Amino acid sequence: MNIDITGDIEKTRCPEIIKILSLGKRTGRLSLDNGGAAGNIFFVDGRVVHANCGPIKGAKAIYEMATWTSGEYAFFVDDAADSATIDMPVDNILSEVADRIRQMDRITSLIPSSEVVYTLDPDIKEKEIALKAIQWRVLAYIDGTKSIADIANILGVALFDIMRIFYTLIKMGIIKEGHQDRTEKGELALSLPETPFIETLVKALTNAMGPISPIIIVETAQELDIDLTTDDVENLASLIEILSSKIPKEDIALEFLKTMTDWLKLEEENI
Amino acid sequence: MKGTIKDLLNIYGVEGYVITTNKTMQIKIPSKYKTQNTKKQFRDLYKNITEEKKRPGNIIEVYLEDVMVTIFINGSTIMMVLSKKGANQAVLRMTGKLVIAGIAKAKDK
Repeated sequence: MNIDITGDIEKTRCPEIIKILSLGKRTGRLSLDNGGAAGNIFFVDGRVVHANCGPIKGAKAIYEMATWTSGEYAFFVDDAADSATIDMPVDNILSEVADRIRQMDRITSLIPSSEVVYTLDPDIKEKEIALKAIQWRVLAYIDGTKSIADIANILGVALFDIMRIFYTLIKMGIIKEGHQDRTEKGELALSLPETPFIETLVKALTNAMGPISPIIIVETAQELDIDLTTDDVENLASLIEILSSKIPKEDIALEFLKTMTDWLKLEEENI
Repeated sequence: MKGTIKDLLNIYGVEGYVITTNKTMQIKIPSKYKTQNTKKQFRDLYKNITEEKKRPGNIIEVYLEDVMVTIFINGSTIMMVLSKKGANQAVLRMTGKLVIAGIAKAKDK
């Protein structure tokens, strides 16, 4: 293995290196490492034929590495790719990269780093919010402890794509920056007792409001000074009433109220 | 449970109800409660508490000597439910909300 070029990404960014290797009609492997992640771009006579970055392969891997601003690179002459995942001119790749870098600049103006931790914002402003499936999957992992990078790893999604999703979710006003250390998170989880009532309540409210429901239950119980382990129907009903008033859509709120009223009546009959 | 008047009347301790809209008044209260001259009072109460906001949610509870009046408001419809002190007020409130929402929905159709 023959190393031809090495350097710092900070001084020469990935798109510039690709351009140099392409113009020089080089064959070999460009290896990039930003300290947290590493990847390779394979060239044959100046054409980009394959790239990988962790689980990501193809052009997406290049887009991912193109946004790195620190780390090291090295070019290994004649190192051949074991597969070919890219069949597009280098100019097109670089044009897409430039577009993504511009988008990344906009994203980083709002999200300083992929290490930032976000939490769901209970003070939602919009009455209705429509989410794409991938946004919902991301939202399901936002818990005040996992960073953006952690969630990208779990979902196997490129960091750029995940940052873009976070950017949209922030703009929608449904998440906010907020580090919740593990103890605090643990306390939050502990404060939801495993009773049939809580189980039904969480299920019904999750149907109505999504994964944010356990947080809303805990916060509402704290506001009303209600012990969630209580059997007192009056207290439980007050909690249900207030929770139903927090559901933005009226028909969904009534459905929730109906489910919980049925549950309470059944409990009363059993007693 | 469908959230009907029948569900409401099935709750232990519920004695009767009054449903008032801007045009009609439906009174179902046992005869032991003297309601002959109360229509005007109900109408005045209606004028005082109805509101534009449509969403059911606002509940007024009036504690009297031996009975309780729970008033549910939804836009231009109000429902007053008379119950004994021992009634399960929590279930009454929740069922009442569903009933008033059902009435308003039927009225809109």
